[in-house]
Formats: sequence, structure tokens, C-alpha cells
Amino acid sequence: MLRFIYSEFRGTLEVLRLTLYYCVRAPWPMREIGQQLYEVGNRSVFFILVTMGFLGAILNFQTGFQAQRLFGDTSLLGAATLPILVRQLGPTLCGLMVAIRVGTGIAAEIGSMQVTEQVDALRMCRAQPVDYLVKPRFIACTLMVPVLWVIGTASAYVCGMYVTYASFHTNPNTYVNFDMTKSGDLIEGGLKAVVFGMVIPVIAGHSGLSARGGSEGVGAATTQAVVNASLAVIALDLLIGGAAFALKISLGTGP
Amino acid sequence: MIVFDSIFKSFGQNRVLDGVSITVNTGEITFIIGKSGAGKSVLVKHLVGLVRQDSGRIFFEGKDITDYQEQDFYDLRLQCAMVFQHSTLFDSMSLLENVALPIRKHRGLSRTDSLDAAREKLRLVHLEHLSDRYPAEVGDGLRKRVAIARALALSPKYLVFDEPTTGLDPVNAVRVDRLIRELKDETGVTSIVVSHDLRSIFGIADRIVMLYQGKVLKDGSPEQFRETHDPIVAQFVGGHAEGPMEL
Repeated sequence: MLRFIYSEFRGTLEVLRLTLYYCVRAPWPMREIGQQLYEVGNRSVFFILVTMGFLGAILNFQTGFQAQRLFGDTSLLGAATLPILVRQLGPTLCGLMVAIRVGTGIAAEIGSMQVTEQVDALRMCRAQPVDYLVKPRFIACTLMVPVLWVIGTASAYVCGMYVTYASFHTNPNTYVNFDMTKSGDLIEGGLKAVVFGMVIPVIAGHSGLSARGGSEGVGAATTQAVVNASLAVIALDLLIGGAAFALKISLGTGP
Repeated sequence: MIVFDSIFKSFGQNRVLDGVSITVNTGEITFIIGKSGAGKSVLVKHLVGLVRQDSGRIFFEGKDITDYQEQDFYDLRLQCAMVFQHSTLFDSMSLLENVALPIRKHRGLSRTDSLDAAREKLRLVHLEHLSDRYPAEVGDGLRKRVAIARALALSPKYLVFDEPTTGLDPVNAVRVDRLIRELKDETGVTSIVVSHDLRSIFGIADRIVMLYQGKVLKDGSPEQFRETHDPIVAQFVGGHAEGPMEL
């Protein structure tokens, strides 16, 4: 088991190294990147809007319910939930949604190419599979996950506002309150979104390139991709969140 | 000339090649035959660096390529192209763009120049009129011929065909066989063909090598194979279900 984890980790790091190398050293295929931007961004917007909308509604309803019970006041609900959405739930859940929707697609597509020898055919054409297949997806995800984070967070906040108004009669003008959201929250959330956008296609690409056998191998690679990418999103969320917290404490700006 | 010298290859506990030694002579059409899973495709993929051997040495035109890295194989793949079993055309590209890809990548030509060169190669396989079609829009036989055009794109001296007639109807299979023969006669290309298609084997082979249980069982001309007294070889070339060959 440990050997498997080590080999997965080492393989993923190698794909990341090659991806960064080709991002710097090789030309960017703009047509392919454009297609991937559409695939990762436009085609994920509805999914992100809906899931994050529901999440914002649930978050505000449950938090408001407790606030109402404990303090009898929900006026600070919007101010209190916004930083949580911006720095924590927004990037993490967007990352998980992209890992599910986009990561599986990448692993299945590259995995199918691997088992049908198309990846070998690319190598015969002097096209490095990582350069040709992973790099455009890496660039697209790195650019689009932050955009989806902004859209998803806005969706969650707006849906939360509606639920708070409908459930607790909190005026939307009172709900929309940015006082408790600091620039540090924005930086932390944005950084997480960028990092998740970089990590998901690399993990999915590595899973696809490791696919062996036939359709069973593609299925296994797809499952592996979503498991590994989800774990990476959660682990990196904790790491970046912990580092940001420690930095705020050391700078004396508070949590 | 290509020399495989005592090639061993295992996948996990499964030993696929158990000390295979073969010499491929320049200008010949050499068929590697054997039952499914005999290691034929694995063997030829060693030549272009798509599979790496556990031990043994490979010589390409006298040069020892055993320890080549991926980048070292780039130049070799200019001289030795491969046609894969499933054609492996890229679905997102037109037939012309598929053929142009190796030209653009290997020769560093512009998109326009590489497309012009690719058009010439499609003409060789009589498919220039389909250049704007996509792989999904044409049949298996045509895809296979485009794959051959892509392999010819860099005018290689050696061509490796991995089961070129598998899945084709008899008419298209004969066309592919004829194309392999024409390439040898007209351009002097050396071909290594992995196959178990008996009609192809006895139709165009100059030499046949049969693999069995990871080893070379017989190496000889088509006539020697026809007249063989080896019961396993006789069962294979006779296409008999019953016999000593282990499944």
C-alpha cells in the first residue's frame, strides 16, 4: 500500500515537473487551450452555480437557525458567512466539483488514448504526451478554477441571502455586509483556487497516462483520478489554510 | 539491419519474452507471427522505445540503442515509423492534420508547409480526396491507410506494422497487403509486420519468425513454413483448432 502511494506521488510529481517545463519551454497551443477553457469553464458554470447555490442556502439556514436560537438575531449572518465562503468553502467545494466534473473527464480521455495506443502514436510523432495532452488542460484549469471560485462564491452568497430573507426575514441590505471579510481572506481563497486548478489536471493526467488494459483500466484510472484529486484538494486546503493562519498570527493581524 | 539479442521482458509475474533473438534484414518484409499474447507487439515496440526490455540488447543499423532515453529515440523514430493495430488516428484532427502532425513535430515545419507535405503522403495511399474528413467519418480500411500515410510522412527506412489487417474486410486487407508490398518494391522500405493473418503471411512475407512461449520457435521463408514438420508450427499455419499448441 505504502509502495503504491509512493509510486503515485512520485509519478504525479514527475507529470507536474514536465507540465511546468513545457509551459515555460514549449509554445502554447492556443486553439487547444481555448477549447479546454470552454470545457473547464463554460461547461462547469451551471454545475458550480447550482451546487454552490444549494450550499450557500444550507449554510445560511443552519447558521441562522442556531444564531436565532442562541442570540435571537441574524443580522450579522451575511457578514459572518462571507469570509467562510471566500476563503474556505468557496475554493474547496469548487475544487472538489472541478475534480469530479473535469478531473474524471481528463482521466477518462487520456486513459482511453493510453489503452488504444494513441499516446504511443503521439510519442512516435515526437509529441510529448504531457506537453500535448496535460499542458492545455493545466493552463485552462489554472485560469478557470479561480473564475469558478468567484462565480460559485457569489452564487452561494446570493442564495444564502434569499434563504435568510425567506426564513428569518433578514433584510438583504443588512445581509450584504463585507465588514468581516479582509483582503487576506481574498488572497487565501484565490491562492487555494489557483493551486487546486493546477493540481487537479496534473493528478488526472497522471492517472490517465497510467491506465493499462482496456475499458476496465480506463474505469480504474478515472476512479483513481477523482479519489486522488479530491484527497489533494482537501489536504492542500488544510495546508494552505494552516499556513495562512500561521502567517496572520505572526504578522499580528489575527485569525 | 536490426538485431534483437536475447530480449527478456516480463509484466509482473508474466514473462512475455524469454530470450528472443531475431535479425531483420534490410529490404525484406519480415513477419513476426504467433498466437495472441505471444509477445509479438511487445517485441516490436522495443525497437522504437515504446517498451523497454528487462535485459538483452537491440542494435539498429549497427548502433546499440539498448540504453537510449526518450529523446534519443526521436531521431530513430524519423527512420523507423510504426502503424498501430487500431490505426490510432487523433479524433480531433482531420485526416490531413493527422498525417501532418509528425511532419510538423519532427521537421519543425510551419502548419501550412506540413499540410502541403501531408497532402503528398495522402496521395501515396490514394486518399487525397478525403483529406478534410475526420477519422470518425471514414471506415476502418481507410483509417488504416491514413495511418500508413502518417507512418510514411517522414519517409522512413523501416516500417513496423502491428496487425495491419486485423478487423478489415478481405478487400481492404488485400489493399493493405498490396500497399506494404508496393512500399518495398518502389521505395525499398524494410517492413516488420506483426500478424496472424495467414493470407497476408503467405501472400507478401519474405521471411517469417514464429514466437511461441516467449521464444523463437521457427525462423524461415514462407516455403519452409509450409513444408515444416514441427507440429506446433504446422498447427498454426494450417489453422487447426486441435493440436499440441498450448492455449
